[in-house]
Amino acid sequence: MTDCGCTKAQEELEEFLHNELSAEQCQDIRDHLANCDDCSAEHLVGVTLTTKVKEACQEKAPDELRDMILGAIAR
Amino acid sequence: MTTVTLDRAFSRTTLPPSRPRARRRAAQARSLDSRVMTDTTPNEAQQTEADELAERRRLFQEQALPFMDQLYGAAMRMTRNPADASDLVQETFVKAFAAFAQFEQGTNLKAWLYRILTNTFINVYRKKQRDPYQGTIDEMEDWQLGGAESATSSSSRSAEAEAIDRMPASAVKDALQAIPEDFRLAVYFADVEGFAYQEIADIMKTPVGTVMSRLHRGRRLLRELLADYARERGMTAAVPATTTKGSSR
Repeated sequence: MTDCGCTKAQEELEEFLHNELSAEQCQDIRDHLANCDDCSAEHLVGVTLTTKVKEACQEKAPDELRDMILGAIAR
Repeated sequence: MTTVTLDRAFSRTTLPPSRPRARRRAAQARSLDSRVMTDTTPNEAQQTEADELAERRRLFQEQALPFMDQLYGAAMRMTRNPADASDLVQETFVKAFAAFAQFEQGTNLKAWLYRILTNTFINVYRKKQRDPYQGTIDEMEDWQLGGAESATSSSSRSAEAEAIDRMPASAVKDALQAIPEDFRLAVYFADVEGFAYQEIADIMKTPVGTVMSRLHRGRRLLRELLADYARERGMTAAVPATTTKGSSR
């Protein structure tokens, strides 16, 4: 690849993933990803990691907790 | 705004906020005045106050309680066990309800609740389970934390993404529990809750730059741990290209 945007892209990939970049910056990254296998593979790892962490952390509060809280604020 | 009112809520040692007391006093004064001129009785003033409380409770149940599962999930990652997580969430809701009159409607309730949760955790629970290196973790050099960037080629990165994708939830949770707490919380707030960096900075009371650093290092450690897990189980090697299409997720 002759693309010279890898350094910048890799620095900003995490912010891109977390939607912290401006529309213009996002477009720069998107343009780069479209042409760079390395960076798009790196981005895929990032996206996958976020998805997995999110999935793994889904919890359901115990029913007793709901009752305890309702009781506590009813006092 | 929120910061100030919240900190005020925390600085109090007794839970009931002063405002209802002031309001009660005002209501009593009003009822004394009005008794002379109208037929309003103290009972009616009490009734008004009770109505206000009931309305606040209704609003709180409607707006704040739906975040219970999410807060419990965060509390589980913080305390690492269901009993402490339940206590922490209950304490959070009790504090939040006590301060709810000061909550500015229309501002971010979820972030407000997470601030109370995180404060309560740091003040109460972290003291019990303080890691010896906690507090210095941000100053540690990358080599001290271990985990250099490993995957270099796009094919090995694709294999890494594939392996992470097939990781059981328990392995992901174990890996999260294994990374330093401040990193874990930053990752949780950003990746699970989708908070903006500035919101995380407010919740964790730290500069945005620190949030970014914690997030980056936390995610990198996580990747390393998951890569170790995959390697130990031979998951990375066993990713035939033919299975990728069929098992698209």
